[in-house]
Amino acid sequence: MRATRLLGGGAALLAVLIVLAVAGPALAPYDPASQVSPPFSPPGAGHVLGTDDVGHDILSQLLAGARASLLVGTMAATTAMLVGVTVGLTAGLSGGAADFVLMRLVDVMLTLPFLPLAIVVSVFAGPGIGTEIAVIGLVLWARTARVLRAQVLAIRGQEYVVGARAIGAGTPRVLARHVLPSALPLVVPELVRAASAAILLESSLSFLGLGDPTVASWGTMLFYANARSAFLTDAWVWWVLPPGLCIGLTVLAFALIGFAAEERAWPQRGGWVRTPASRR
Amino acid sequence: MRRGRSVAQYAVVLWVAVTLNFALPRLAPGDPLEFVIGAELGALTPGQRERVVREVGLDRPVPEQYARYLAGITRGHLGRSIRSGRPVADVLGERLRWTALLAIPALLITTVLGTAVGAWAAWRRGRAGDLPLLTGILLLDSLPVFWIAMLLLAAFAGQLGWLPPFAALALPSSGASRGWAVATALVFPVAALVIAGFGHTFLVARAAMLTTLGEDYVRTAHAKGLRPAAVVFRHALRNALLPVYTHAALSLGALASGAVVVETVFAYPGVGRLIFDAVAARDYPVLQGAFLLVVVGVVAANWLTDVTYPLLDPRVRAATPGTSRAGAHPRGPAVAA
Repeated sequence: MRATRLLGGGAALLAVLIVLAVAGPALAPYDPASQVSPPFSPPGAGHVLGTDDVGHDILSQLLAGARASLLVGTMAATTAMLVGVTVGLTAGLSGGAADFVLMRLVDVMLTLPFLPLAIVVSVFAGPGIGTEIAVIGLVLWARTARVLRAQVLAIRGQEYVVGARAIGAGTPRVLARHVLPSALPLVVPELVRAASAAILLESSLSFLGLGDPTVASWGTMLFYANARSAFLTDAWVWWVLPPGLCIGLTVLAFALIGFAAEERAWPQRGGWVRTPASRR
Repeated sequence: MRRGRSVAQYAVVLWVAVTLNFALPRLAPGDPLEFVIGAELGALTPGQRERVVREVGLDRPVPEQYARYLAGITRGHLGRSIRSGRPVADVLGERLRWTALLAIPALLITTVLGTAVGAWAAWRRGRAGDLPLLTGILLLDSLPVFWIAMLLLAAFAGQLGWLPPFAALALPSSGASRGWAVATALVFPVAALVIAGFGHTFLVARAAMLTTLGEDYVRTAHAKGLRPAAVVFRHALRNALLPVYTHAALSLGALASGAVVVETVFAYPGVGRLIFDAVAARDYPVLQGAFLLVVVGVVAANWLTDVTYPLLDPRVRAATPGTSRAGAHPRGPAVAA
């Protein structure tokens, strides 16, 4: 009941954002990357949210930012899932030394602070949207690996799986018939969680000037607003407020869906027990 | 056994961070030498270049470079800043105090506030307002920290003019007024970190409290006629505090990430702002040193939690290490091992 309402709210919010991201270029009144009017114009005729320090239309940038944030968020989360699921299944199924080594690697990844790690790696790798996706994916996979491994171990010990082995089912069959069907549903909440964490991380990296300079993301907009101290002028209403609100609502959309998905995947935990997406 | 293993695990984390620092300049596209001396590289004559390569040791075999690097780290050699030419270790030492001054109050306030409100929310669970509260907490947790910081400045420095926006930039050098000025400079950054970290602590405290409230001894306390507030805050809260304590130490990584962007917004002279400036100036040695310092801080906090945990929980203290009672640790054996 509560899960349904959270899911509905999150899905509706996400749907609006996806529409904006897809239709953004058609809806945007101007090219977000070209100088269309004097810098620092307040909202008024032609520019609903005014212009920034070089005369870009802020509304058009906001629409372009939806595309950048969702793209980086989902791609990075997918990367994290691919790595996390592979590591989790491998560790859970193989056991022994491989399991030990992989899980120590997971421990290390979970201990390292995400943002400083992402900063150091992206500075050396150079800017670009591909780097951003890879770096964020690289710091977010460990949690998923641990969750999946735990589930694989739990299933392997179930009596029906032991029974299936006893009547001669081999590893491929056990994997396909028993392990994957009960482990993969857990990937859904993990994916959504990783997406919300990825969008926050992307915004932080862009805010620190490590985003793709050719892509107008919400974090990049706030980087320039901060560099020009826009928050000390009236411009905070139309230059600082909208991008941050967009980031918050996008992350919230994923968080609501993730919460609902988690209540379904782990009904025994009673839902609102675990913490939301990590910000580390 | 458990503790011994966890020390080994923390050593591995440090080793990974150091090795990453060693490997990144050598794997990254471009000339590794640029990561040592910066953009000046292009201005060097071939002869000068060769001399610098020899000085830095880049002409030696990689295993030897690695051994020298590790030996240098243990003696605190982190290289020199490209921008200022000063030893990185000295720069970090100056900045660390400022970040500690910011992070410690932020962590304490977040923990106390989050625990109190979380326990209260667990106590009144199921009544009207639960769902809006959850949504509100999730929204709070979804907002970027640096944006919260910018809004604080917009509201209290820009619009209301209560406090100067970048108080940390213009501190008096000495005297009684300095202490007051430093305190003023801390208000906004600490507030931003507390707002950002509150949701997490709240959820951990609420969950721990809900679990504890379901225990038999709580029912007994109710049954013998204690006031509900006494049951919740005197009996249940003590046990519910254990996961909160663990969370507080583990959230230090999140705090470090938050400090990087928050210090950037407030031009606060800590390690976080140093990282931002190093990124902007592509001051690679400083960036690597700061990264290592943050990792050392997080690892130290984790280790400190492990060591002090038995002091808080007599059950863990009584249990023989390595037996099944190690499972009483709320992080579970998977993390503690």
